Amino acid sequence: MISEVKTPAQKQADGATLSAEASREMLQLLVDTIRDYAITILDPRGYVTTWSPAAERLKGYRADEIVGRHFSAFYTPEEVASGKCVRELEVATREGRFEDEGWRVRKDASCFWASVVITALRDAQGNLRGFGKVTRDLTDRKNSEDRLREQAKEILEMATVPIVQVCEGIMLVPLIGMLDSARTQQLMERLLLRLTETASPVALLDITGVPAIDTQTAQHLIETIKAVRYVGADVVLTGVRPAIAQTLVHLGIDLSNVATRSSLTAGLRVALSMLNLQIAPSNAHR
Amino acid sequence: MNPETISVVRVRDVLLVTMPADPDDATISALQEKTLDAMDQHTVKGLILDLSKVEIVDSYFARVVAETAQMVALMGGETIIAGMQPSVAITATELGVSLGRTRTALTVDRALDMAASTQNHSKSPHS
Amino acid sequence: MSVRDHGEVKIQTEPDIAVARRAVRDVATKLGFGVTETARIVTAASELSRNVHKYAGRGVMQWRALTNGQANGLELRFEDHGPGIPDVAEALREGHSTGGGLGMGLPGAKRLMDEMEIHSAVGQGTIVTVRKWRR
Repeated sequence: MISEVKTPAQKQADGATLSAEASREMLQLLVDTIRDYAITILDPRGYVTTWSPAAERLKGYRADEIVGRHFSAFYTPEEVASGKCVRELEVATREGRFEDEGWRVRKDASCFWASVVITALRDAQGNLRGFGKVTRDLTDRKNSEDRLREQAKEILEMATVPIVQVCEGIMLVPLIGMLDSARTQQLMERLLLRLTETASPVALLDITGVPAIDTQTAQHLIETIKAVRYVGADVVLTGVRPAIAQTLVHLGIDLSNVATRSSLTAGLRVALSMLNLQIAPSNAHR
Repeated sequence: MNPETISVVRVRDVLLVTMPADPDDATISALQEKTLDAMDQHTVKGLILDLSKVEIVDSYFARVVAETAQMVALMGGETIIAGMQPSVAITATELGVSLGRTRTALTVDRALDMAASTQNHSKSPHS
Repeated sequence: MSVRDHGEVKIQTEPDIAVARRAVRDVATKLGFGVTETARIVTAASELSRNVHKYAGRGVMQWRALTNGQANGLELRFEDHGPGIPDVAEALREGHSTGGGLGMGLPGAKRLMDEMEIHSAVGQGTIVTVRKWRR
């Protein structure tokens, strides 16, 4: 492609640049045609002065219904009462722009999740002539994000607790999250099955990943320990952080007959010594 | 042999009692009688209760086991429960029963090892 | 194989407790309950059948397969014309049975099942109904 330097007159003749009027016409065409962004103009006090087809589609108002009304019509009553609209214009005035994501209200009172940019429009002398408001409907994206967050939370809470054989005779159970009834039952069944299948004498229950202990979680832990002992294995409880230790004492939970340690390493040492106690008697018979 | 009866054999210095899968109350109470009879006949130092076939432990079964263990203890012996099934362990925990002063072992083999090692101590196992 | 959806076991002698257990195990397994869930149901049935035998001498256990539209379940109903329970709330409140044979083991059975209802009148009898739903 050959690049030449042309004079403005030449450029205009080419059609490569637009006259001021044609420019305005094209920009208006942009505002009227664009579907994804609702573009409106507010006067310096926040009253709607121009409207667009996209704005009508998004917010439900026809131009004759909304022009001249205050833009707080798009906000929830609580937000208006808290002065949100006033604040937005203040920020835009002061800093040139205001950006936000939040719920907006349509004419039929339904809500949509919007991304909004309010820009202060100043003339060459710097006088505030009004505000440009560009709104984008992000409801679908927000719903997807919310769903993903819910699922991630569910997965984290419902995820099967892994049971890992760290060496012959020791099963490690790294608990993550809170222990509710359902999880405890699931865990007990799987852990006991694994211990009996492999004839492993020690279950290393690590609670480093348990954010907090309440009475319910502590009871579930105690029950799990009881059941493990019934099948002939034993438990070492590790990952007992200072905060957890404090909670356990304050709740009056008695773990005095359980081997507990603050670190997994220390717990592993205890577990290994438990195994040695198991091994020695057999050796004595050979 | 009737699958619902208890088997009692002496192995080394302990009594090995094997419980059937779902004993009725009469069979469960026979546990006590048979254990006491056997301990009378043989010089045994303890009892290993093999529960590996047992599918249900209700409060009556648990009570009889606890009482039997107590009697064995009074006679200077120790009771080891071996091979409890996971589902039984879970329901026993949820039912809230106590099996008395008993130790537990994953298998009869381990229980025999445990019983042998305890005998090596000069002190009584219950101190 | 057809699955009957209801049945009953008369509890008249002590061996009937074991008969009730076996019937319940059979039904629970056929309804698709897992090993541990079945153990819970059978243990609860054992406790409640034993109550009937111990306190009333005789009674009946009725079982019923249930469906609530989303899940399948099993209902067990124990009825007797025995002395009745003077204080149901107290019977349910007692501490976990320590296997000492004291108390009725009702808290234990309640713990093992999903739902429990007790209707009792002194001098007339007792009806204990329990349900378990398949997860």
